[in-house]
Amino acid sequence: MFSGGGIEKKGKIKGISQLGSISSSSSTGGTTSSSSSSHSNKSGSSSSCSNNSGSSSSGSTPPGTPPHVQMASHESLNSESKSSSLNSKLGHESAGSPSAGSPSPPKSACSSSSTSTDQQHHHQLSHVLNATSKMTVRDGTRTLRPDEPSLVPGEHLEGTAREVTYLCPYTGPKKGTLSVTSYRLYFRSPDTDPPFELEVPLGVVSRIEKVGGANTSRGENSYGIEIFCKDIRNLRFAHKQENHSRRMVTEKLLQHAFPASHKLPFFAFEYCEQYPENGWSVYEPIAELKRQGLPNESWRITRINEEYELCETYPAVWAVPAAASEHDLRNVAVFRSRGRIPVLSWIHPESQATITRCAQPLVGVSGKRSRDDECYIQHIMDANAQSHKIFIMDARPSVNAVANKAKGGGYESEDAYQNAEVQFLDIHNIHVMRESLRKLQEVCYPHIDNAHWLSNLEATHWLDHIRCVLSGALRIADKVESHKTSVVVHCSDGWDRTAQLTALAMLMLDGYYRTITGIAVLIEKEWLSFGHKFAQRIGHGDDRHQDADRSPVFLQFVDCVWQIMKQFPHAFQFTEDLLITVLDHLYSCLFGTFLYNSERERMEKEVKTKTVSLWSLILSNPSDFENPLYNPATRHHVLFPLTSIRHLCLWDKYYCRWNPSMRQQEPVHIRFKELLHVKGQLEKRVDELRKELAARQTHDSPRVASAIV
Amino acid sequence: MSSYRRSKPPGGFKAYVDFVEFEERPIDVPEEIEYGKAEPQLLPGEIVIAEANNVLKFAPLKTNKTGISGTLFITNFKVSFVTSLPVDSKNLRMINFSFKFTPAGEDLRVAQALLHHAFPPSIDHLFLSCGYPPPPPGIPDFCMAQDWERELQRTRCPNWRVSKHNEFFNLCSSLPTVVVVPRDLLDAQLEQAAQHFQGTRPPVWCWGSLAGAALVRMAQISPSITDKMSVTKSMGTLKRRKLEEVSQQQENRMMGLVHRCHPKKLQPTILDLDQILPSLKDIQISYIKLRELHTPDDPSQFWEQDRHYYSRWESSRWLSHVSKCLDVAQSAATAILHHNSSVILQESEGRDLSAIISSLVQLLLDPQARTMRGFHCLIQKEWVSLGHPFSARLGHTRNDVEEQCPLWLLFLDCVYQVSVQHPSSLEFTSEYLVALWHAAHCSLHSSFMFNSVNARHTASAVLQRENPHQPIYLRPVWSWWAESYNPPGKKQNGPSEDNLKRSSSREAFLNVHYIQNLMESLSASGAFRRISDPLSSAYHTWHRIESLLGGAGSLPFDSTATVVPLQLDASLRVDVTWSSLKPWQDCFCAWVSEPATLTLNELESTLKRSSPTSQHWKHLYQMYNTLKNHLSEGLTNGVIA
Repeated sequence: MFSGGGIEKKGKIKGISQLGSISSSSSTGGTTSSSSSSHSNKSGSSSSCSNNSGSSSSGSTPPGTPPHVQMASHESLNSESKSSSLNSKLGHESAGSPSAGSPSPPKSACSSSSTSTDQQHHHQLSHVLNATSKMTVRDGTRTLRPDEPSLVPGEHLEGTAREVTYLCPYTGPKKGTLSVTSYRLYFRSPDTDPPFELEVPLGVVSRIEKVGGANTSRGENSYGIEIFCKDIRNLRFAHKQENHSRRMVTEKLLQHAFPASHKLPFFAFEYCEQYPENGWSVYEPIAELKRQGLPNESWRITRINEEYELCETYPAVWAVPAAASEHDLRNVAVFRSRGRIPVLSWIHPESQATITRCAQPLVGVSGKRSRDDECYIQHIMDANAQSHKIFIMDARPSVNAVANKAKGGGYESEDAYQNAEVQFLDIHNIHVMRESLRKLQEVCYPHIDNAHWLSNLEATHWLDHIRCVLSGALRIADKVESHKTSVVVHCSDGWDRTAQLTALAMLMLDGYYRTITGIAVLIEKEWLSFGHKFAQRIGHGDDRHQDADRSPVFLQFVDCVWQIMKQFPHAFQFTEDLLITVLDHLYSCLFGTFLYNSERERMEKEVKTKTVSLWSLILSNPSDFENPLYNPATRHHVLFPLTSIRHLCLWDKYYCRWNPSMRQQEPVHIRFKELLHVKGQLEKRVDELRKELAARQTHDSPRVASAIV
Repeated sequence: MSSYRRSKPPGGFKAYVDFVEFEERPIDVPEEIEYGKAEPQLLPGEIVIAEANNVLKFAPLKTNKTGISGTLFITNFKVSFVTSLPVDSKNLRMINFSFKFTPAGEDLRVAQALLHHAFPPSIDHLFLSCGYPPPPPGIPDFCMAQDWERELQRTRCPNWRVSKHNEFFNLCSSLPTVVVVPRDLLDAQLEQAAQHFQGTRPPVWCWGSLAGAALVRMAQISPSITDKMSVTKSMGTLKRRKLEEVSQQQENRMMGLVHRCHPKKLQPTILDLDQILPSLKDIQISYIKLRELHTPDDPSQFWEQDRHYYSRWESSRWLSHVSKCLDVAQSAATAILHHNSSVILQESEGRDLSAIISSLVQLLLDPQARTMRGFHCLIQKEWVSLGHPFSARLGHTRNDVEEQCPLWLLFLDCVYQVSVQHPSSLEFTSEYLVALWHAAHCSLHSSFMFNSVNARHTASAVLQRENPHQPIYLRPVWSWWAESYNPPGKKQNGPSEDNLKRSSSREAFLNVHYIQNLMESLSASGAFRRISDPLSSAYHTWHRIESLLGGAGSLPFDSTATVVPLQLDASLRVDVTWSSLKPWQDCFCAWVSEPATLTLNELESTLKRSSPTSQHWKHLYQMYNTLKNHLSEGLTNGVIA
């Protein structure tokens, strides 16, 4: 639609609100204030029509779906009226409404939205909004008002502040109501049509700052709070000083955004949604090893770490060379940093070449050696009959590896380890990565300097780092696939760069990990069970935003997956929506999946029994993430992506998603869903017709078929 | 294309260097070569001019300077090195040859021949493929009155007429024999007016809407009018000034006519492209920078460039040119659509930037221009027929380096940006655009070889004189579709392409999302019922799908199709901010392969990379068949009337 300013602008506002305009529907309908209802009546524009019809239909979404639909991440309805109407049609039909198959009547849907308030969602018509500055704090066991968010099971409304202004960097200030719940921050402004909504899970918050003092601040909108988020955006809210609402909001925000610092439980422990699938059972270590063909004559499964005594950051179950005894394992653990000894990650189904992972050896300045460690590496090499060589991939730049000797670490010397070749992969440490992401955020949010966009992007070196990680993983995959040689991977501690490399190499080598279940298994296995310190790297519920242990290591991995996906669009069963959902819930603390630093800690906190798994959400709604272009035959392909920067690009759908101008005009993922949907529908109708035909033929004599061609 | 295989080193070649990758054969081998003879396969009319034995072809970007040994042939069409690769550094590709092991003397001859034939002194010397059967009908070439009449009829733009006054190119040599001019303009007036414009190009209509807004291309008035008036003697400044006044009057008069053509007599919008768009020189400079960025000499340079890849893209300013073109096109489209105002694109000779803008405006406004056939028509009309000087701008001949400027690429890049922002609105893919760029460098087809229709006629006449016994047909590039072999642009497309079979070009060039869109519009309830009614849009949509997916080998266009009137209800809008424009890597990186960091054979990895491309199509065919079953069963059932 070649629309002029008006409609488009509305669309963009809609876009920004982001939080599934879908979930917002019920409250849209419930707006009883005379001013806002007249708003929606006035608008006969197609965009508002389709939005409303889209949202009204999804009001009947079953309770199993909300959180991901509501997630701010989900690129919701697009500004283009065409696509949004398609979307609404889709939502309509998939929700099983009686009128499925016929386009929803546009005008009536429009007007109905302001009157049809019978959806079970929490509001009473008797509530009449008088825009007072009254602030309400109540418990969660009551009906919600229309300007309050619909809650997920276990969520409580903590406080509401009216007459708050959200200073949107793109569309200007919006006045409305700010609510804080135990899970999220919710802002709604009825001034625009459709109402502007903003929703941020509190887990995403990294820092909250008060702007403007009680006496010092002058001018409009200078007194308020600024919220810095982990998902590359900052939000500013202006409060009215005389309302005294800021204090309550800040208090509640601090408390619920940083539960760990306040000795409170994460919201994940309160969230009690029921999903048809149980995501906690997606990864069973023994079953996964069995899938890889283990145990076999040269590899065995050991439970030596059952109590997490030998290595507290490793999982309970390991696969190790059969030739190494339990005693050997204990000896090797002494020589490896934090007892993280080489353990199998992946074995090639044909050549038996393996990828094993570990931490750096404790060589130190004196150049210590361990006979047991040397033997152990030899065992790993011997387990693969195809090659008489083994590669040790040290993820660090060689200078850093040398420097680590001073701290008692180091790397394997080729003299001590016969037949081993050490290669350095030049991937920088967590501090460099954090700095790079910080720069990237500056470039992407809130405004993009168009004239210098590409050079600014280059100056962040983000793509450089992505290239390093990818080409390192590529090198590992190449050694295993083409040389049939086993590879040992480590960095310093073996939980950051090592996890990136092994997981990416496995993704390239084994098509199983490119399925929806497979990626869950891969993340559970290589990242969670092998002790990537999610709590530390993300800083879940922690208010020390400058903590030097924070770093976007996992984000980088997901970015690399996206880069591979972009080069091989048919080789993945899932779409980028899955990756974005994973990243959103990495921060949200809605699910227990990414909480804590290691398998042991999660066992202690009984995460599996007390929280819901992210994979429950994903596995229960596979159609939201399914790639219709997936070719299952690629399961047996090995992917070798191109890794030069000219073949990489910024994942703007993730990093620039808050910027309405960077949003694609015609979102492909909606097309994807349509494709699946239309195909299903057609098949169904053909089936019906066939049955009907069969039924008729039993009565009449068959007529001659004439095609229309 | 499917000729890649792990072949043994053929006996005819001697290896002088210890080859790491001796088995490598370029993936883009167009024809099967008989190794024993070591001779290139020649096209009809192609002659070997020079040859050199034992030449090394260096594999691109290998540090150790390994290469393949073979015989290098220079023909009047291509450089052939075992495999017939059209050598062409003009479209971002470099091939290094070493004559180190070549018998003395031969190298000199080869170099001379290459120089002579790659940059022929005049267009007549350019190899033009001939001796083929006549091209199939289908695409109007906009050289005949009926094509323009049809276009007028389709757009329903009132008050314009077809003039045949340029029949012998006497009015203007760079315009076709027929042009569309204001209805009130007499041929005599046209002739008179033409004299006052640069290149004697009077304003011509190229597109319009039912409401009356027309898109007109017009040259600037001629500054050196004196020469053409042949009143040279003792021309005083006074007289000159007077002549300028006359020219000015003519320009005003023409604009007045355009103004009067508008049914509502709305003031036309005049866009002076020379002022608002970058100069051809700037564009060429940007292009040269990009070309350097994409033709590294060795791996170290490759990685060095790679490190600064994006900032170099930015400093080339190419995307800013793309952005400006799209922006101007957008504002012209807005004027036509929202203000119903005619737009006059004025430019020095009206053959370069105005072609870009005019085509883009139509792409944005006219849904038909987004189909395969419509896009062909658009290019044929705006670029070929209205005389974009392809030969001069792309440097097909030797003499005019100054005039070179890849406007054609700039246009294709703009279209690419539209396709990125609207993935399902164009019927063709970006691969197709890449192929069109390559086609402009490959003289197999004549469309993009000449400066004008007139030049093409002349060249064809020369060829005919040389071969009096055989009818000569210069084939337009559009005949690809119907030809049984893969189109040349596709062949050159090398590693980024799959080894697809015969139907490949169709799969690579047709945009699945677009067809999907068609299908969706059909499967919307109610449409089925109207499908057998020839007056309904469902009927046309179904036939379109049929022609795209159904009959193999047939053109996706039907020359006898009734004129479907233009509807302006589905215009596109593009975001022209720089950050939303993407570097067109598919095109610019087509020839640079990444220096091998793997031990794995480079070719093997690329094969693996591109293997499952047809997944899209499998789905599509499934949908198509389901739909078809559905329809035929529906008919049997009487469900569909």
